Amino acid sequence: MIGVLDYGLGNVSAFVNLYRRSGIPVQVITKPEQITKASKLILPGVGAFDTAMTRLNQSRLRDSLEKAVLVRKVPILAVCVGMQILSERSEEGVLEGLGWIEGSVAKLSSCDNPKAKYRIPHLGWNSIKIVRASPVFTELNSARFYFLHSYEFMARRSEDVLALTKYTTEFASVVRRSNILGVQFHPEKSHIHGVKLLENFWLEDF
Amino acid sequence: MVKKFKVCVRCVMDTTDSKIRFDERGICDHCLTFEKDILPRWNYGLGKEHYLSELRDKIKITGKRKEFDCIIGMSGGIDSSYLVYIAKEKLGLRPLVFHVDAGWNSPEAVSNIEAMVDKLDLDLHTEVIDWKEMRDLQLAYFKAGVSNIDTPQDHAFFATMYKFAAKYGIRYILTGGNYSTECIRNPIEWMYYQSDSSQLKDIHKKFGSIPLKNFPLCSILWHKVWLPYVRQIKVVRPLDLMPYIQKEAIESLSTEFGWQPYRQKHFESRFTKFYEGHWLPTKFGFDTRKVQLSSLILTAQMKRHEALNILEKPPLSSKEIEIESNYVASKLGIERVVLDEFLNSPNKTRHDYRSQEFIYDWGASVLRGFGLELGGKR
Amino acid sequence: MLASRVIPCLLLMDGGLYKTVKFRDPRYLGDPLNAVRLFNEKLADELVIFDISKNRHGRGPDFSLLGKLASESRMPLCYGGGISSLQDIERLVSLGIEKVSLSSVAISNPKIIEQAISVFGSQSIVVTIDVKRKGWLRTYEVSAANASVDTGLCPVDFASRLEQLGVGELIINNVDMDGLMAGYDFTLVRNIYEQANIPLAVVGGAGSLDDVSRLVDEFPFIGACAGSLFVYKGKHKAVLINYPSPEQKNLVLKVRAE
Repeated sequence: MIGVLDYGLGNVSAFVNLYRRSGIPVQVITKPEQITKASKLILPGVGAFDTAMTRLNQSRLRDSLEKAVLVRKVPILAVCVGMQILSERSEEGVLEGLGWIEGSVAKLSSCDNPKAKYRIPHLGWNSIKIVRASPVFTELNSARFYFLHSYEFMARRSEDVLALTKYTTEFASVVRRSNILGVQFHPEKSHIHGVKLLENFWLEDF
Repeated sequence: MVKKFKVCVRCVMDTTDSKIRFDERGICDHCLTFEKDILPRWNYGLGKEHYLSELRDKIKITGKRKEFDCIIGMSGGIDSSYLVYIAKEKLGLRPLVFHVDAGWNSPEAVSNIEAMVDKLDLDLHTEVIDWKEMRDLQLAYFKAGVSNIDTPQDHAFFATMYKFAAKYGIRYILTGGNYSTECIRNPIEWMYYQSDSSQLKDIHKKFGSIPLKNFPLCSILWHKVWLPYVRQIKVVRPLDLMPYIQKEAIESLSTEFGWQPYRQKHFESRFTKFYEGHWLPTKFGFDTRKVQLSSLILTAQMKRHEALNILEKPPLSSKEIEIESNYVASKLGIERVVLDEFLNSPNKTRHDYRSQEFIYDWGASVLRGFGLELGGKR
Repeated sequence: MLASRVIPCLLLMDGGLYKTVKFRDPRYLGDPLNAVRLFNEKLADELVIFDISKNRHGRGPDFSLLGKLASESRMPLCYGGGISSLQDIERLVSLGIEKVSLSSVAISNPKIIEQAISVFGSQSIVVTIDVKRKGWLRTYEVSAANASVDTGLCPVDFASRLEQLGVGELIINNVDMDGLMAGYDFTLVRNIYEQANIPLAVVGGAGSLDDVSRLVDEFPFIGACAGSLFVYKGKHKAVLINYPSPEQKNLVLKVRAE
């Protein structure tokens, strides 16, 4: 069963609806004891870095979550700001991140000239360039996803980066360390490709 | 006395139609009506070129100075889509394509209407039914427990189209109704007359919660007597005046227009899909595929064993029933458990509510007497 | 490469779907749930939904309806109408609405925008600027409360201020061109595009996919929103939900492909 972590910031219902429609067993997780029942986890995220960390810490899910992810190696897919809090810290806020994948979060490079094309936030449909194969990309070779963010994840180790996306420069759009996956885009709002990615996360081994 | 289950040896209608009668060969009364009343005059649509040209000329003449010479009601289904194509390309008419949006259009229906209208360069008019009233009326029908819960959609469709024609003085309404795929009609027990406004009003009065202010209503006398005989507005079925083979029509429209087929007739409406795919068969044991497939058997478009094969599986799988039921419940604004309660409630019939059935019975025999309606519903 | 967005813009009023002309004469289009479902099936890039009900003050957005609409859509939603507090925004986000649009409150209480950005991040906070031409010089002016109140504000100045506050996106809603299907007003768009360095979307005036194509060609990465274009068909403006297929959209956007 997929457990979608509800820590007070994120569109939990979007993931639940999607998995239900695909016939995949899914449950919303609000209490620590529910984490043990999930064979895989989703960490959604909409909003600012500090708000996400504060809410996660306040939710009392963090300890059980770390045991599940870091000790029992339960696969987890972190989305958007959920991916960003996997890092150690972010320019956007002052709090520490989870530190599960080495790296930090910085503002996307932009240009001060309004006549230039690349405005921040990066919002809209963009493609990903797969740099490291992974079962999460099954049948997603030329996929496009919806991005909505102003910050990027700068992974310390290049082998943690699975896919890049170009916007001004290239930034990490998919990261992975062992059982921990992060996607900068919103698969739950990326039509067919998003559904496929979320289904791959359920079906494949991590 | 409960009748033993028996299937016609020629078509696939059976004793789930409680009024069915078999002759000594085991052939049902639907088949015999077709043989005796319909086929001799319809003749598979062959040799009707003269009538078709005559009709076309009449339509052109009466519509000469108007923006359109006829209206074609289009649901997005194969019959109305093919009719639109024939009317424009083969008969050279100037139709207004008329679509009624009751809130349940499937994506394929919307795409099909768009494709046909764009590629044939036709004018479209859409009448949008007040959703709050449609929803309330549909819920009233669920609460009434009758089989024909699709009456609100059907009634609205015809009432709006007739009113539009009357308002703009368009003398010809073309429908995709045809003997080729509909020579056997759904028994009245399964689908009572959608045009009986007195029953609709009675059910609304008993189970509705908001007044029907914008909902289009029309009465049987208005549309079967006033319109044709006083306003001279005729409803015609051009597909009866030509050979019409459904498979060929689907192939031709798919190739030329990118037309997308549906799993079953009438599934262009999400509500009708639930109605014919689950409500009727599950609650009442009425499988409308038997009617549709029997028509295709009698008109040599399908072999009986093919039809029996199709009928071996239910119209919707259990997974589809889940999806469709959840969608219908959500759209009607009720809990799924409430929808399931409707399904499990006692079955009612048209006799449990007010009706003008006597007018239909009388009218049908008059029309048959004059040879104006072949076969007909029973 | 990032693609420009082609975005249907839907208007809700008392739970029903409507379309206006110059923000007036709302015409009933039917049930919003079916429309959202159809746009979802047609793989629309995203949807913008505005609630123009007159009596929403104090009651906030219709969360129940929005929850249903969000559950039907596998594409991002931007919603605006009746939002006056952080709690409203929080609730909308939890229902599955990616971007929240503030309009009149951006003028009357800009502090709320700052607070919202600090909690939800810039990317989730959009401001919709309704613009009308006023006076005999036909100057562009920001309009409030569904174009019923004149503010005297210059749209370009207002856009700059919002950019400084950290707003994630601006939607320019052209009141005068609304429902006319006579093309976007490029002068207005250019004035704001060249001044405010944040993502922009435009609604009001689109009459054909050619209009959309010209807009995205002229203004890279802009969001091309349209109301009438995606709910009407033909010269009689028959209600029929439509949206370009992926192939048609590629043609419309190909001028910007890299």
